[in-house]
Amino acid sequence: MNVSLNWLSSYIDLEGLGTQEMADMLTFAGIEVEGIQERGVTTDLVVVAQVMEKTPVEGSDHLNVCMVDAGEGSLRQIVCGAQNYKVGDKVPCALPGAVLPGGWEIKDGKLRGVESRGMLCSASELGLPDKEHGLWILPQDYAVGTPVRSFVPTDTIFELEITPNRPDLLSHWGMARELAGITGRNLKQDPAEQPTAAIQTCPAGDYITLSAPEICPFYTATRISGVKIGPSPAWLADRLVSIGLRPINNVVDITNYCLFELGHPLHAFDAAKLTGGLNIRRAAEGESFTSLMNEQYSLTPEDIVISDASGAALALGGVMGGLDSGVTESTTDIVLESAWFLRSNIRFTSRRLALGSDSSYRFERGTSPWNVLRAAARAIELILECAGGTAEPVMVGGQAPCLVPEENATNATVLEQGTEGKIYYALDQVQLDWKELDVMTNASIPHLEAARILRRLGLREIDGKGTWDCPPWRLDLKRSCDLLEEVVRVYGIDNIPATNTSIYVEESAYDRASDYRMALSRKLAGAGFWEAQTFKLIAAESIDPTIASVEHALPIKPLMEGDIIRVSLPISEDHSTLRPSLAPGLISVAARNINQGLEVLRFFECGRVFRNTGGGKGKDIENEVLGIFMAGKLNPASWADTRPGEAHFEHLRAVLDILVPKAEITLNPSKQARKTAAVGADILINNQACGYVARIALASCRALGLPMESYYAELDLRKLQQVATAPFKAAELPQFPGSDRDASLDVPADTRNADIVKAIQAAKQKLLVSCRLKDVFCDPSGEKLAADRKAMTYTFLYRDAKKTLTAPEVDAAHKQVLDTLAAKVKNLKFR
Amino acid sequence: MKERIESVQAEALERIAGIADMKALEDARVGILGKKGSLTQVQQGMRDVPKEEKPAVGALLNEARAAITAALENRRNELQQQLDAAAVAGVDFTMPGATLPTGGLHPISIVRDEAVRILRRMGFTLSDGPEIEDEWHCFDALNTPDDHPARNEKDTFYFDSGKLLRTQTSTVQARTMEKQAPPVRIICPGSAFRRDAIDATHLSAFNQIEGLYVDKNVSVGDLKGTLEYMLKALFGSDTAVRFRPHFFPFTEPSFEIDVLLQAAGQAPRWIEIAGCGMVNPAVFEAIDRETGKQLYSGCTGFAFGIGLERLAMIRWGIRDIRLLIENDVRFLAQFQ
Repeated sequence: MNVSLNWLSSYIDLEGLGTQEMADMLTFAGIEVEGIQERGVTTDLVVVAQVMEKTPVEGSDHLNVCMVDAGEGSLRQIVCGAQNYKVGDKVPCALPGAVLPGGWEIKDGKLRGVESRGMLCSASELGLPDKEHGLWILPQDYAVGTPVRSFVPTDTIFELEITPNRPDLLSHWGMARELAGITGRNLKQDPAEQPTAAIQTCPAGDYITLSAPEICPFYTATRISGVKIGPSPAWLADRLVSIGLRPINNVVDITNYCLFELGHPLHAFDAAKLTGGLNIRRAAEGESFTSLMNEQYSLTPEDIVISDASGAALALGGVMGGLDSGVTESTTDIVLESAWFLRSNIRFTSRRLALGSDSSYRFERGTSPWNVLRAAARAIELILECAGGTAEPVMVGGQAPCLVPEENATNATVLEQGTEGKIYYALDQVQLDWKELDVMTNASIPHLEAARILRRLGLREIDGKGTWDCPPWRLDLKRSCDLLEEVVRVYGIDNIPATNTSIYVEESAYDRASDYRMALSRKLAGAGFWEAQTFKLIAAESIDPTIASVEHALPIKPLMEGDIIRVSLPISEDHSTLRPSLAPGLISVAARNINQGLEVLRFFECGRVFRNTGGGKGKDIENEVLGIFMAGKLNPASWADTRPGEAHFEHLRAVLDILVPKAEITLNPSKQARKTAAVGADILINNQACGYVARIALASCRALGLPMESYYAELDLRKLQQVATAPFKAAELPQFPGSDRDASLDVPADTRNADIVKAIQAAKQKLLVSCRLKDVFCDPSGEKLAADRKAMTYTFLYRDAKKTLTAPEVDAAHKQVLDTLAAKVKNLKFR
Repeated sequence: MKERIESVQAEALERIAGIADMKALEDARVGILGKKGSLTQVQQGMRDVPKEEKPAVGALLNEARAAITAALENRRNELQQQLDAAAVAGVDFTMPGATLPTGGLHPISIVRDEAVRILRRMGFTLSDGPEIEDEWHCFDALNTPDDHPARNEKDTFYFDSGKLLRTQTSTVQARTMEKQAPPVRIICPGSAFRRDAIDATHLSAFNQIEGLYVDKNVSVGDLKGTLEYMLKALFGSDTAVRFRPHFFPFTEPSFEIDVLLQAAGQAPRWIEIAGCGMVNPAVFEAIDRETGKQLYSGCTGFAFGIGLERLAMIRWGIRDIRLLIENDVRFLAQFQ
C-alpha cells in the first residue's frame, strides 16, 4: 500500500521525523517498507521558464536547441529531446546546481557538441506523476523565474507491505493511529468521528433484503439525491494521484478516498439504474456478471451479489461494481453502499475469478463492522461538500456481526452507532497474564510500561485484574499472547537482554544419519565425484531427453503401476511428479555437463525418492538414497596422460567397494527390467538387498549424447549406513608370513567370476586368507587361446595364524583348492 | 719391490682420477685390487722379499691398498654425486600437473552442514519428517486458519489423496512434539515446496533449516541469544543482527531477522535471513488436543526457519537461484 506523508500528516503531527527515522520506526513496528519515493522538488533552482526559440540540432533527429527565458534577464541555451512543446510554452527548467529526485545533479554540459545550460523537465523528472508524455507544460499564468516548489508541494510516498494479520493498517488513518501508538505522539481529529456522531440512521425495512446473512449479515445504503457529478476538488484529486490512483469523478473519488482514509470499502450506485430495493444474495450457479471493467464472469453460489428488484447482479459484493449500475456524468441520485462481508467468501471469489480490487483486498483480510457506518458517514459528508445534494438517513439492514466469542459476549463492552435502527458493536475482551509476560521477557518489561503501551494502542483495562477491552479496529487481538506480542513489539526486542540457555540433548538417529551422509559425500567428492542436488519434481515423461523424467528412473525396486506420485495441479509438466529415483536428475545433469564439454562424468546425489505403495491408494513412502552416475574418461587428459582411459563397469564397482570396504558386495543380475537399463543387477551387501546398478540403455545414451558406457547405481542410504558404521574391533596384525600361489584357469568365455569364487569358497580351505583376480586374458583370434575360452589368473594367499607354513603345507592347501575348482567349475582346465 | 709398489700405486691413482663412469670405476677396482689386479700381483712378490724387509714392504703395501681403496671410494662418491645431480637436473617444477578426477560438495550441502554443526554445538539435535504431509501437520497444528491463502491449490502442491508437499519445514515441529515430551530442542534441515514459478529468485522446491526449542520458561531473550549466537557463528563474530516484528501464524510475537551485510565496495545493507518467533500457544494446544496428553500446556518455546538457498546466495554472492539446481560443473567447481 502506498502511504503519502502529507496525507498522513493531516492526522498526526510528524514534525521533526526524518524520512529514514520514520521508515525505521515502521520497520520495527512490523511494517515492511518496500520503497520510499520523494515527490516534488525541494530546490529553488527549478523554475518556470518560457521557450522563446527552438531550432533543430544539426545531425540529430530529435534534439532541439532552445533559448528559454528563466526570468534571469537574459536567455539561456538548453538542448532538449522532448517533442511535445512549442515556442511560447511555459515549462519547468532545472538550472545548473539543481538536484532532482533520485540525487541527479544538473550541470552545464554539451549535447552533440552543443552547449546546454540546464534541463527542461517532465513531471516525472521532478518526482511527480506524469500527466503528459514529455515536458510538463505549465499554465501560461505562471510567471517565469517562479520556483516550481512554490506551486508543487513535496511529498514522501512510503510503499508499505502490511502483514495479513493487520488489515487495520490498510488506510492512512489506521497508519496514523499505529504511529501514535508507537511514538506516543497525539492523534489529530478522527476524520470519521464527527460525521458519524451527526449521522441519521433508520432501519432499512424492506429496502434491503439480506438473503445470505451468513456471508453478508450487515448492509447499509444511503440515498443522496441531487448530486452534481464533476471533477473532484484539487486537494482530493491530488491525494488520490499521490498514492497512484486515477481520479474519475467526485463521487467515485470520494468512495476511493474513504477507503484509503479509513480502510473500509464503499460503493456508489446510480439510483436511476436501480429498480426497487436491494437484495444481497448468493449468485446462481453459472450466473453471468459484467464488471465495471467490462469483463464477463460466470458466478457460483459461493459468490455474493448485490441485485435489485429486477434480479440482475448489479455488483459483485465486496469485489467490484457492475458495468451498468455505476455513477456516470449524468447521474443525479446515488445510493451509497457500506457493508460487511465474510472474508473467506470474498477471498474465494477474488481468487477463483482472479479478480482483485482495493476493496476485495481489505474484505478478504477482515474489516471491522464498526467501520461500516463511520465510512458511510464520512463519505456522505464529503459528497455533500463536493457534489452537493441531500442525503436521506442511512438505511441499516441487518446488524453488525458479533465477532466476540460467545462466552465473552455477555460481559462485553458494547459500542453504539446511529440514531434509529442502531448499530451495536461488542468489544473483544482479553485477559492478560502478567506472569506470561515475565516468562517471555525474563521480566525485563515493567508492567506499568506494558500497560501504557497497550493503552496507547487503544486498549482499555476495565477491571484492574488484567481484563482488557480491545479497540474495535483490532480484530487480531483475541488472546493473551496477542497482547504480549503488542507489548514486545512496541517496547522493542532490542531492549530485552539476550540470554542463551542450553540443555543436554541426546544425539538422535537423525544426527547420526546426517553425519554419515556428510562423511559419505566427502568420500565420494574425494573420489572425484561432484555432488548434485537435483529438483525433486520431475516430468512424468518428456520428448526432450535432457529433461529429468520418470522414464529415466532406475530405482532400487522396479516401479509398478500406480507407484508414481503426481501433484494435482503442477506448474508445468516438467515438474509434475515426485522423483521415484535419483537417476533422472543425475542423468540430466550428466547430459547438461557433457554439452559443456565435460569429459569426466562423475556425479552423485543423496536425497529422498518417493513412491506410493499400492497403486496410488497405499502409503506414500519416502526413502533416502544415494545415486551415483559414472561415464566418460577416468580423469581429464593432460600432457602427462594424453589419452586417459574410459570408465568401465569395474570402475563403478571400485567405487561401490570403497563405500563399504569391509562388507561383502554381491551383484545379482536383475530379472526385473527398468526402461532405461541396458543390463542391471541388484546390489546385495552382506547378503541384504541394498541397491541396484545398471548400464544405461544405449538408446538413451545416444539420445542424450552420453558415452555409450554410462553407469548408474542407486543405494539405500540407511542400509549403507548400517553396514558402514557398524561397530568393530581392530584386528591384530598377522604374526607369521603368508605364501602366495598363482593359478591360471582356462575356462569357457561365459564362466562368471562369481562361479569361480563360489567354488573356491566351497573348498573351505582354512589356510586360504584371500584370493584375488590378477589377470583376464582372451584372444578373439584364437591363436594363443581358443576364441570361446578365457584365461583367468588368481593369486591365492595362504597363512597360518600360529606358525610359518612350510612349502609342502602351502602346496597341499593350494592343491585342495584347485581340486575343488576342477570339480565344481564346468569345463575348467589349468594352464 | 718398493719401486714397483710405488709405481703401481701412482699408476692406479692416476687411472682412478681419470675415470668418468661407475662401470669404468668397477673395472678399475677389479684391475687393481682384484685377484689378478695389478696391486695383487705385486703383493704376490712378497714371497721373494727378504724376511727382514717384509714388515716395511708389508706396511708399504697396506698403505698403497688403503690409498687406492680410499681413492676408489672418493671417486665413487664424486661420480654418484654427479649422477644424482644429473638425475634431477632436468626437473621443471613449472610444468603443469597431471590431472586427477576432481569432485566436491554442492554449495547447499556446505551451508547446511555448517548451520547444522553450529546448531548441534549449541545443543540442538536433528529431527526429520516426511515431505509429503497432511494438512493437519502443515497447517492445522501450526495455527493456520482454514481460509489462509497457503491452503490453496494455487499456492501449495496438493495430491489427489488430499495430502500435500509441505510448505515449510515447520511441520517437523508438530511431528516431533507429538512423539516426544518437552524439553524439545531440535533442528531440521529439509526441503519445502511452494507453487511458485521458477525464476532467478524463486524455486518451487527449496531448502530450509528449522529450529525449535520448547521447555518451561523459554523467553524472547533466549530466542534472541540463540539466533544471535548462530548468525555470528555463520557470518562472523562482528555480525550485526536485528529483529523486525513480523507475522507468522505459528509464532507470536514473530520476527524477521536481518543481518548487516558488509560487502567490499558496497554500502552496508540489512539482508533478511530468517523468520522466528515465540511458539504460538495455539500450536501447543493443537498438539495436546491431538495426543490427548497435556504435555505442552504451560510450556513456552521459540522456533526459527532459515532458507538455505538464501544463505548460500548471500555467502557467495550468487545472483540466480537456478544455478543451485542446474548442477553445472563450472559452477560446482567453485566450491571445492
